[in-house]
Amino acid sequence: MELSVKILRYNPEKDSKPYFQEYKVPGVAEDWRLLDVLHEIKWKLDGTLTFRRSCAHGVCGSDGIRVNGKNRLACSILLKDLNYKKTIIIEPLPAMPIIKDLVVDMTSFFQKYEVIKPYLITKTPPPPDAERFQSNEDAEKLFESAKCILCGCCTTSCPSTWTNDNYIGPAALLKTYRFVFDTRDEAPDERLDIIDNPDGIWRCHTIFNCIETCPKEINITWHISQLKTRLATREF
Amino acid sequence: MAEKINPKIKTFDQKEWVKTNLSYKKDSGSWAWILHRISGVALIAYLFLHIWSISPLVQGKAAFEQKMATYSSTLFSFVEWFLFAFVLFHALNGVRIIIVDWADGAKYHKQLYLYTWVIGILLFLAMGLIMFSHIF
Repeated sequence: MELSVKILRYNPEKDSKPYFQEYKVPGVAEDWRLLDVLHEIKWKLDGTLTFRRSCAHGVCGSDGIRVNGKNRLACSILLKDLNYKKTIIIEPLPAMPIIKDLVVDMTSFFQKYEVIKPYLITKTPPPPDAERFQSNEDAEKLFESAKCILCGCCTTSCPSTWTNDNYIGPAALLKTYRFVFDTRDEAPDERLDIIDNPDGIWRCHTIFNCIETCPKEINITWHISQLKTRLATREF
Repeated sequence: MAEKINPKIKTFDQKEWVKTNLSYKKDSGSWAWILHRISGVALIAYLFLHIWSISPLVQGKAAFEQKMATYSSTLFSFVEWFLFAFVLFHALNGVRIIIVDWADGAKYHKQLYLYTWVIGILLFLAMGLIMFSHIF
């Protein structure tokens, strides 16, 4: 089977702006991942094509790209789940600066992530003879939010991000949930103060693009709604 | 919050939010958001029209009734019927957003969107029946 793909190319040393290049990839099967197609192009057809990937199994989250208008992980999507009889359109993640071809600058994404202090904050000393205790029930409340692999698909799929550079984004808010609702964490108010801001949680307009795109199928908006309720009912 | 990237690296800035909004694949949540904005703006426009159309009140009863006569045509009733559609969508979707933010609505947001349309269309047709029953 021959597959037709259109890829947005940009080389900062040669091009003034990105342009689409079409490739005809022979010998493709419908159980291929999209990443295999990108490999086939890079290894056999055009070595100048640039994209990120590390683990290639949906764990590292480095190959987030936009396929047929929607953000996805190239390694987690099979051709049979796409409309492969037609040309597949591949672009870099939207609203991010393009460094080269499908590689975007994720600096701002990780800066926003660091803002909410994504680490356990404790003020009391740990028990002398054991770890900090957490019940199974309390741990289960965090499981879904802890599945995030920081691929950036959600934050770059959000219309609030497209219009406002400063919006903290769903990925950082999901991580806020992960620590605010962690029973061992002792600084939930510190984090809530950070996101209680017009460019923080309140710029989430429940558009649900983040849920649609999340390769780990995390219901991000539900987690954000829990934070909104917590903020709105907070006692001082 | 977010600082600019290293200026030494030449990048292409993809800051075209209108284009991105138009080209990104839309699901029910996106459509609900877009229609909520459109109906909201339409209702503000209607509010101004409403103030303008009742303004002849200050010129007395005759001027007001002359103005009202232009609004009592069947065509205008039809326009009013669609105004009701905007009110309906904005109100029902508003309830949907409250359920999403305050209850666990995010877990069944697609069903809620569907209910918004089903209830909306039923009420829209019912209103049509009330408004135009004297004609048919």
